[in-house]
Amino acid sequence: MPMSGRTRPIEKFAEATARCTAEGAVYGKCVAANYQNVSKDMCAREFMALKDCYLKAAKRKV
Amino acid sequence: MSRLPQAIRPLCPSNGLTRSLRPSLFSRLSTIAQRSYAISAGGAPIASVFSNPTKHQHRERAALDPHQSRQVDYLRDQVATRLCDRLLDINRTFPQALDFGANACNIARILTRSNPDLDSDKPTTDPIATRIGHLTCADTSSAMLHRDADLPFNADIALTRDHLPNPEHLPYPPATFDLAMSSLSLHWINDLPSVLTQINTCLKPDAPFLAAMSGGDTLFELRGSLQLAEQERLGGIGTHISPLADVRDVGNLLSRAGFKLLTVDVDDIIVDYPSIFALMTDLQAMGEANAALRRDPAGLSREVMLATEAIYRELYGEEGEDGGTVLPATFRTIYMIGWKEGGEQPRPLERGTGESNLTDILGGGGRIG
Repeated sequence: MPMSGRTRPIEKFAEATARCTAEGAVYGKCVAANYQNVSKDMCAREFMALKDCYLKAAKRKV
Repeated sequence: MSRLPQAIRPLCPSNGLTRSLRPSLFSRLSTIAQRSYAISAGGAPIASVFSNPTKHQHRERAALDPHQSRQVDYLRDQVATRLCDRLLDINRTFPQALDFGANACNIARILTRSNPDLDSDKPTTDPIATRIGHLTCADTSSAMLHRDADLPFNADIALTRDHLPNPEHLPYPPATFDLAMSSLSLHWINDLPSVLTQINTCLKPDAPFLAAMSGGDTLFELRGSLQLAEQERLGGIGTHISPLADVRDVGNLLSRAGFKLLTVDVDDIIVDYPSIFALMTDLQAMGEANAALRRDPAGLSREVMLATEAIYRELYGEEGEDGGTVLPATFRTIYMIGWKEGGEQPRPLERGTGESNLTDILGGGGRIG
């Protein structure tokens, strides 16, 4: 339950993700380019870039 | 548990597979109380897909925060409004009405509004509530049911809130109601044919049943993005969005349950969200989180959520009014109207009793169309 003065984890998560739209777009394009034949780790490199960005963004805030 | 006793349901496999899948929150009910109408189930027995105790918990939790719960009523209110619009076309009074799966009695609140029909040429029509003698709101979540019990609309309609211990059993005697409605709750029912048959049975002859349920392509954007993300990250996909009834199935289900003069139609409500997290948070606040029996108890991992957000944004993102990207989510609602047989209801003539040839009327050298 969201209590006053406390941010829910998903809000923090959403906030950090919102700072990585550029990396997200690169990853999204990579998957979308081949969406009918997606295999595991097809876009691992792009995802790692997105994840790094997210981790940095999450750290900076808290 | 609405599973019928095996003895009167010969098509069920005797190994009790579908029964053992269900957690036994309702096990304190006696077998007699769970007895339900036997339905002629053609083909395979109905397997349980949703966990009723989990769904109950979701809805109870959601209703604990009335402020937040009311904030996410936009979808239920919109669908209830559209459903009540259909009631305007039926020129009758309804001494006894039932709202099955009432959520927070959204239908009751909409019924008391003075102008439920926004497109009408007459801007102010009397609230439909004036044509309803008494409304029974039935739901499994007592917290959700009583959420709005203190609001002013309760004074404008004779209302009883009925807490159902079992979401798939209607404890009403046959021929009780002059009208049955249901808005956005049938999509959590495991045994839809049985519930529809029960609704049919508790209606009086020639009484209508109006319902709206989430169907088919609801949340297809989220479903697709989750599948792509899980496929790319984990190499396989899980159950996150419920299987939903298709428009084609609904007519079939209604006629199987004994309804006549069916009308089924569909419309989409598209809601824009700033991110998938906003969409998921809202779904959760509505009490509509995933309750599939075979869901992963751990839920979605952060990696998958991160990937889903990026894919959704890429595939479906649209430019919003403020220049940013918004994520549209489609809610497809199936509206159905069926009438219980009986009374002076018009009936089709028997086969072979036609007196004029259709080709004489339509012309066209023996070809129709």
